[in-house]
Amino acid sequence: MRFLPLVLKNVFRKKTRSILTIGSILLPLFVICIMGTLLATLDSDPSGGKGMFRLTVRHSISITNWLPEAYLPKLRQMPGVKEVTIMNWFGGKYVDSSAKNFFARFAIDPESFLRVFDEATVVEGSAADWMGDRSGLLVGKVLMTKYGWRLGQQITLMGDIYPGNYTFTIRAVFKGADESGVYFDRRVHEEALPRVKGYVGMYWIKTDSVAAVERLPKQIDAMFENSPFPTKTETEKEFQNSWVSMLGNVKLLITSIATIIVLVILLIAANTMAMSARERVTEIAVLRTLGFGKPTILGLVLGESVLLSLFGGLLGLGLFVLSFPGFRAWMLNSPMGAFATGMRIFPGILALGFFITVLVGLLSGLVPAIRSAGRSIPDGLRQVG
Amino acid sequence: MENAIQPLIQVQSVVKQYTRDTQVLTVLDGLSLSIDAGDFVALMGPSGSGKTTLLNLIAGIDRPTSGRVLVGPDEVSAMSEGALAKWRSRNIGFIFQLYNLVPVLTAYENVELPLLLTNLSKAARRKQVELALSVVNLTDRTDHYPRQLSGGQEQRVAIARAIATDPKLLVADEPTGDLDARSGEEILILLERLNDEFKKTILIVTHDPKAAACAHRLVHLDKGVLKEDVRGAGKTVGIAAAATVSAGK
Repeated sequence: MRFLPLVLKNVFRKKTRSILTIGSILLPLFVICIMGTLLATLDSDPSGGKGMFRLTVRHSISITNWLPEAYLPKLRQMPGVKEVTIMNWFGGKYVDSSAKNFFARFAIDPESFLRVFDEATVVEGSAADWMGDRSGLLVGKVLMTKYGWRLGQQITLMGDIYPGNYTFTIRAVFKGADESGVYFDRRVHEEALPRVKGYVGMYWIKTDSVAAVERLPKQIDAMFENSPFPTKTETEKEFQNSWVSMLGNVKLLITSIATIIVLVILLIAANTMAMSARERVTEIAVLRTLGFGKPTILGLVLGESVLLSLFGGLLGLGLFVLSFPGFRAWMLNSPMGAFATGMRIFPGILALGFFITVLVGLLSGLVPAIRSAGRSIPDGLRQVG
Repeated sequence: MENAIQPLIQVQSVVKQYTRDTQVLTVLDGLSLSIDAGDFVALMGPSGSGKTTLLNLIAGIDRPTSGRVLVGPDEVSAMSEGALAKWRSRNIGFIFQLYNLVPVLTAYENVELPLLLTNLSKAARRKQVELALSVVNLTDRTDHYPRQLSGGQEQRVAIARAIATDPKLLVADEPTGDLDARSGEEILILLERLNDEFKKTILIVTHDPKAAACAHRLVHLDKGVLKEDVRGAGKTVGIAAAATVSAGK
């Protein structure tokens, strides 16, 4: 600790260079935190663990292929199944087809929906009001806030896959895993378009145990294997990941970019430390004549690089924490809103940022530190400038 | 019978060679020298004669190729790197031609530097620093940075740094080489005082006859061997120094 003032003064010896280096660590670290948070969000379980008991059943060919409604009683009878609900993708558009007005719209079975997605809590209106009104709409809280809708307001969705305009009244608002969608009674859809009656886009199953989650996919798929409507049963996590994978290998892309950013920071910091140490060859030799041993010199130079990196890193983390609420709000209001619902400040990402900061500090200072400590004193004293 | 003064420094048959590419360069060639405690010795000689190398060997910042260097009871030439660093911090005070103060530290902090390696408390360090700065008469410049000081003042801070740990031996490499005549004179007076009043053994490398005249002994090196060893205060050494310098020309 007694060397800290010396290390601190050396960090800011060349103020402009130090500030530029700190900036070059601060901004990339901020970007790394954003990227890390996106990755962590993709991996996160916004249902608070309840999603691990859920399975989805869809047509084995594609999510756009229908399954018969006749599968519903068969699924309900299977051991380990607590509840089954139906979800049909409606699509459509609200106001216009622009990306900013995109959100999920589902025709569902209201009775069973809240039993399968039991982490969803109605926070405005009531589930009974929604279920009691066939044209009632259940809306996610994020979407309510985005559009400034209020309870009782009428919303018109214009069909695209399915023709026609559908006007709904907001009866309930929920908070839960995905608050960026709207849900309405599928009977409205069926009455307007009788051809969809008897068909289901997707079944969602709530199981009674993790063991059932492991066992049921094979059993369900085997049961319908030789039917005209073979199924693909997945866990909720697998289903979510299949959506993410449609964007390509996003995780690999983000991880690769983040790795390159870390390497760039490392090179910038290493350059600064190398310059700083090179300029002080004589000074370091003088310190050694005064009795500063090699380990002390090593510690001083490494301490300097770690401190420099920490200044940049901690400012980057601070900037990330401060700007996160705004970033989250922006994400939720974007077409990526469904993914962003589970977005939060993950302590693991902050810890990773801190680890990267210290690692960059140590690695960037290592070579200059070893060189400084290893140079012979007479050689150092002979060096000019 | 008179008590014999114990030698503080013993240089015994020291050879120092450097290898540059394939060439072996002998800088000191079997040099032997003994310096008494409390002595003030000037090392003179033409460039490349081995003065600074000898100073470095005695101060424990370089090692001989062969031979022994003893300072007091310690065989400096046989110590490990770590032990040498500790030994230097306790026993040697360095004064450089270009002062070599740390530019980002104040005069006070520069003088405190060697004390950071001791176990002294902050208060004890403060006491030592203030004492050292008072010896060099710079108590009014404690918060000044090197760039805010004149060359002479910078060298006085460097001397305060050298004596802060109260070492028995002060080594100075051209301490007046970068100073004007007046500042150089002040530094020499200060060194004389450190020798007379504080009983420091002083070894300086110099080309300056005035600096050499302050010494009690002049050791003249040439091509790595001892050419001349003149003992005697002031004038005797001064004349020899002047002769050495003119011979060097």
